[in-house]
Order: sequence, then structure tokens, then C-alpha cells
Amino acid sequence: MRKPLVRVIGSLSLVILLGTVLGRAQEEKRAGAATTATAVTSQDLLNGLKNPSSWLTYSGDYSGQRHSPLKQITPENAHRLSAQWTFQTETMARGRGFEATPLIVDGVLYATGPNDFAWALDARTGRPFWRYRRELPNNLTYGASVPVNRGFAVLADRLFMTTLDSHLVALDIKTGGVLWDIALADYKAGYSGTVPPLVVKDRLIVGSSGGDYPTRGFLDAYDPTNGKRIWRFNTVPGPGEPGSETWPPSAEQIARGGGTTWVVGSYDPELNTLYWGTGNPNPDYYGDDRKGDNLYTCSLIAIDPDTGQLKWYYQFTPHDLHDWDSNHVPVLADLTIAGQRRKVVMVANRNGFFYVLDRITGKVLLGKPFTDTTWARELGPDGHPLIVNDGSKGCIPDNWGGTNFMPPSFDPSLRLFFVTARETCATFVPEHQVIAPGRFSLSGTVRRDLDKAYGALRAIDPTTGERRWEFKFQSPSFSGVLSTAAGVVFDGDNEGNFMAFDSRTGKNLWHYQTGSPIWGGAPMTYLLDDRQYVVIGSGTNITAFALPRE
Amino acid sequence: MQLLALAIFLFFNAQAQNSQDGDAAVVQAGGALFRERCADCHGADAKGVSGPDLTRLWATPGNEARVFQTIRSGVPGSIMPASSAPDSELQAIVAYLRSISTAKTEDSSGSVANGARILAAHCASCHRVNNVGGRLGPDLSRLAASQSNQVLTRAIREASASLTSGYESVTLTTRDGRQIRGTRKGEDPFSIQIMDTHERLQGYLKADLKEVIREKKSLMPDFGPDQLSDRDLNDLLAFLGTLRTRAPANQNPGAVNQR
Repeated sequence: MRKPLVRVIGSLSLVILLGTVLGRAQEEKRAGAATTATAVTSQDLLNGLKNPSSWLTYSGDYSGQRHSPLKQITPENAHRLSAQWTFQTETMARGRGFEATPLIVDGVLYATGPNDFAWALDARTGRPFWRYRRELPNNLTYGASVPVNRGFAVLADRLFMTTLDSHLVALDIKTGGVLWDIALADYKAGYSGTVPPLVVKDRLIVGSSGGDYPTRGFLDAYDPTNGKRIWRFNTVPGPGEPGSETWPPSAEQIARGGGTTWVVGSYDPELNTLYWGTGNPNPDYYGDDRKGDNLYTCSLIAIDPDTGQLKWYYQFTPHDLHDWDSNHVPVLADLTIAGQRRKVVMVANRNGFFYVLDRITGKVLLGKPFTDTTWARELGPDGHPLIVNDGSKGCIPDNWGGTNFMPPSFDPSLRLFFVTARETCATFVPEHQVIAPGRFSLSGTVRRDLDKAYGALRAIDPTTGERRWEFKFQSPSFSGVLSTAAGVVFDGDNEGNFMAFDSRTGKNLWHYQTGSPIWGGAPMTYLLDDRQYVVIGSGTNITAFALPRE
Repeated sequence: MQLLALAIFLFFNAQAQNSQDGDAAVVQAGGALFRERCADCHGADAKGVSGPDLTRLWATPGNEARVFQTIRSGVPGSIMPASSAPDSELQAIVAYLRSISTAKTEDSSGSVANGARILAAHCASCHRVNNVGGRLGPDLSRLAASQSNQVLTRAIREASASLTSGYESVTLTTRDGRQIRGTRKGEDPFSIQIMDTHERLQGYLKADLKEVIREKKSLMPDFGPDQLSDRDLNDLLAFLGTLRTRAPANQNPGAVNQR
């Protein structure tokens, strides 16, 4: 049978057309997958590290455990880790540097750096796609003395960051272009922004910086599509509100009481509760003008993300006089304590104590020193520390505390909590000071005896508070911790080493000299092209490590 | 007319008197603040304990702004903290320090020439003065400029009691049993950086060492009266005193990494 040419051409075209359509459909499917991967959903955030090719929040997931399921790098092969690439910035913060945890979405790292710079980097090579740089005013207050940033949040095709002049900014993930930009508070009074926002459902949860200035801390929720504020929780209650009785009856003092929220919190979707730490009362060292416990400073607050209402609080350091902010990533887990299964939240606190609280009620289940602090050695029946040395009986831990904002990690299968501990010796000299907006209000000085100071990575059994092992560092260190399901813990020291340890024993497996103290940065890890990368920021560099290719 | 001139004279005289009284009050207030906040380290007489002698700050001219700034910012990497006290309080402390300043060389009856000889014989193998001498110990041209005779005497008589950071003595034992003595310049969990007694700067991996022995004693011997008579010590101090006018005061030789 002879087919008319037209029909043959027609069929051919149909085949070609069909082929093209199918091909395109397939391409679109692939592109669709890519688009899906770039367009981060609330469900992706809930899934957390179940997809080990992504790292979508500061802590990796809502639990704050900073514990990856990846198993390629093991205690047996970690000694073969080698640097794969280094990204070097053109901007720096004196004595500080990268404090952000980069996010990874579809093979691209999104990192913020000092002075509100930010980059999209090829996660295979460290090569940049785009750079963002904020035009900052030249009369910054707190933001000028600590010009760091701790990272992005991501939702859909948008990145979100707080800025040193106390704004919240949304960037286009593809270009770094600004989508919207709103003011959180007045930077001229001392407010600033360094905290990564946390996406919870359809909203951004955002904290404040500036507690060493006469500011009042808050936790806010914003609409990610337009930056409209949904609610604000003030960490220092207003006159007449519950908690205000822990302050002098002075509206002026309340308006500058501190309690900032500059480290990101954690979230329990099942209990629909946010857990967030609050900072020191202000002024820092001189407390005679703010007699009382000073709620809700130096506390953990449990907040309903829908309404911004306080569910419960626990104050670690009542009436703090040592700048011992409680700005830590709260670590959520389920533990069996004294035979009972509990939903808990764990905090290794700047005051030198390790705490386990019931995260439904806020009740203290355990509170024990994880450092050699002489300030207090146990908690009283009311959950308050029994202070035995206010500083008059020899030195106490310095203002940077027994640990600081650098995040710990938790291995749920080994049931071990890993934290970078600081052992220090300092004398506090409070001084009365005239308080003025935009002026540093530490109200005193700290003398550190550096010769007696050191640091350590410590593994704590959270069911007993006992120390399982430690690895000592030469000087007090500021590195965050990462653990993995393969039984490897990563940490850094103030001498610049980035290191791997055996989670079970604390044995050092590997180290790499990065050339700058690892100060505030925390490791993250991801799987790309079937290779597990581990990334750390240090000084002006971000470095990625992996095992050599076979 | 004369009456007016007299009135003007009296007025300005009174003003001058007030201003003087004001200065005295400021110095007094500065002294009180100094004893409260600074004396622990710098001594009640400001001649230095663990911190430097502050009575020599005006050995170089135009130091006011620098002293003020040092109190304001502290000395990074040392125990000297920054201060957030109001400018007026810092200015009072500066005024007090200026009032007790003994910019001139401390009276010393000793012989400078003999002091120089003593230094060459006993100290120069490890200490440098004006770019001459050894490097194992701290450079004395700067150290002497910031320390009182009292502190220097103690550093010489009881060397181990006043050990400076960066000069702690260590002995390393290598795997093959070799021993290397030196002063510790840096250390981390995996390595140690030293200057050995031959002034060789060398880093060692702890994995290659059998032992790191940290001595409480300085590499410098205690120069008791049997090794260095009071008279020779006095002469040595006289010589070191001449360095004060040459080197800028208030330098910080031991500044380590900024945190």
C-alpha cells in the first residue's frame, strides 16, 4: 500500500512532534525536578535531612540536632579527608569571620558573610554564581562592632536574611536581587540583625541582636511574600504584664532591658511549639538599677508560632551579671529519663550548666555543670542555680561563658550530646554608667586570666549529665559541632584546626589547619554526585572536604 | 578705670583658681578610679605588678590620646580589658597618671658603663638591646622601657617567678630520644612551635615526639646575690634606665592573636 507522501510526512511530523513533545515533557520533568528542588516547600523543611543532598535551615532540620544521616565518611576512612575547594571572601570582620552555616539547594550553596555580604556558590567547586552586598549606613552601632551574619533561611525561590542595620531582606534565589526589605527596629538605638530567620509553615520567625546596647529583645513573625509583620513577642514584658514584677517599676528600664534573640531556635511540628533562647539583661555587668530576676532574659521561651503567645519559659540565669546570654540552639529529642519516655529540649548553657527540660511543660529534668565553673555546682528545688561564688571567691567563667552561640550536636542513636566547652577564669568589675541610646552599655569590664584558659570538645550523656569523653584544645574555642550517623563528630578550635573525631571514643581521626581561628562557624554536610562533602567557614574562607575519588 | 582693671584681674584670678581646683579634683577622682580598677595589675603606686609600670608613660611626648585609647580599647590578647566607662572617667585616670608621671630616668646611683659590661657578660647571650644580643629571651630595649626597677629586680633575681607568655620553657623528646630545649611560641593539639636554645625556630608534630615536658622554671637562671652582687645589679639597672628615654613606652610586645 502506497501511502501518500503527505501522510508519510504527516506521520513523520507527528512522530517528530510527538518525540519533541515527549522530549520536552521529559526535559520539563527534569527541569520540574530541578525547579522543585530550588523551590523549597514547607514539606521539604519538615523533611529536614531525610534528603541528604539538601541542608535547608541553619541547623539542618527543625530539631536543632545538627546530626546528618550520611555515612560515607566513617571513623575508618576519615583520615583520608582532603580539601576539595576554598572560597575566599573580599570582606572581613576583625577577629571574627564566617559564622554562617551555608544552605544547599540543588547543588548550590547559599552563604552569608561578614558585613552583610552573601553568595551563591557552586557546591562542587566553590565558584560563585552571584554576590549580594548590602549598602550599610556608616553610623552602625552594634552592627559595626560585631559585623557578622549567621546565615539564610529559604522558602520557595526566596532567601531571607537579617542585616546589621536591623532589617529583614528577601532575595531572589536565582540572582541575589532584593525582593523586599523591611526595618525590624532602629539600628541607631543599638539594634542589629545577625540571626538566620526560621521558616515555620507560612511564616518567617525572626530575632534581634543588640543586647549589649540599651535595646529590648523581641521575636517576630513575618509574611514571607511581602514582609508584613504577623506578631511580635517582647522578651521583656511591658508594665503590668506577667513577668514585669521581676523588674523595677520603670517603663524606661523595660524599654531597654535586653533579652535579645540572636541565635536561631528550634521547632516541634507535632507540639506546634517554637523554642528560642534569650540574651542578657542590659546593662550587662551592673545590676543595681535592675533588681529582680529580669524575665525573660537568659531564658528559653516556648512560643506558639501561630499567635506569638508564650506557652512556658525557663530562666537559666536569674538576674544575670556576667553577660551569660542564653542564646543557644535548643536541641529537641525523645529520651528515656528515670524510666520514663520524655519529649525533651536540651541546652548546654553559657552559665556552664547542661540542662534537659520537658519540652511540653518546661519542667527541669536535669541540670548539671558540664564545665569546672565555681559560680554554682547544682540547682535548687526551684530549678534556680545555687550560687556559691559570685566572683568574690576567686575567678569565675568569663563573659563568653562555658560555651557560647556555636551550636552543639546530638547523636540520637548513641544518645550523646557534643559541645565545644570553654574553661576560663575571669574577674568582673561592674561600673555604673550613664545609659544612652546607641551607646555600648556593658557597664563594667572583665579581666581574663588567659593562662588558665582552655577549650574542649565534650560528649555528654543527656540522661545523666555525665561526661563520656573529652578532647582538649589549646585555648577556649568557638566552633560549632556536627555529628553524623557514621559515628563521626566534626569540630574546630581557636588554633584554626578543623577536626574529625570518633563519636564513641573522642579519638581524633583527622585534622586540617584552616589558617584562622574557627570562630562561630559550624560545619554542615551534604551528598552531591554520590560524594559526601563537609563544609566549614573559618576567617575569610569557606572550605569543603571530601574523601578522594576512587 | 583702675578699679575696672582690678575687677578684671580679680575675676580672671578667681577663674584660674577654680580651674586649678578643678584639675586637682579630677586628678583625685582619677586616682580613686585607678585604685579601684587598675591597681590589681598595675600596683597601687602604678609601678607595675603583672601589668607594666605606668609611671613612665610620659617618657615620650604627646601620649595622652594614646593612653586614653589604650584604656578605652584594652590590649587585645592580654588581660587588659576594654572599658565602657564615660570619657570623663577615662580622662580623669589619664590626668592622674600624668600627675604621678616620672618621665625622667629613675634615680640610680649605679655606673652605666659597668651596667653595660654586666649586660654583655651575663644577659646578652639571650637578650637583645638595640638590635644586639640573643633572641631566646625578651628584647630588653622595650621591656626595660615599660617596667620599674622594682619589677626588673624581681625579674632578674627570681626569673622563674615572672615568666612571660611566649617564653615558657619546654623540652621536647623525639622518638629517637633526642632532647630539644626551647621556649614555646605556639601550640595546638597536634603540633608545637618553639625557638630552641640555638635560636632555631622549628615546628614539631606531636605524633613525632615521645614527650613534651613543660617546665615551671624559666630557661633564665635566677641571678641571686651570689651570682650578681647588689652593686652590679644596681649598675645594670642604671644601664637599663638609659633605654627608657630611647624606646617608646607603652608598647605591647606580647600581643598575641586578637579574639
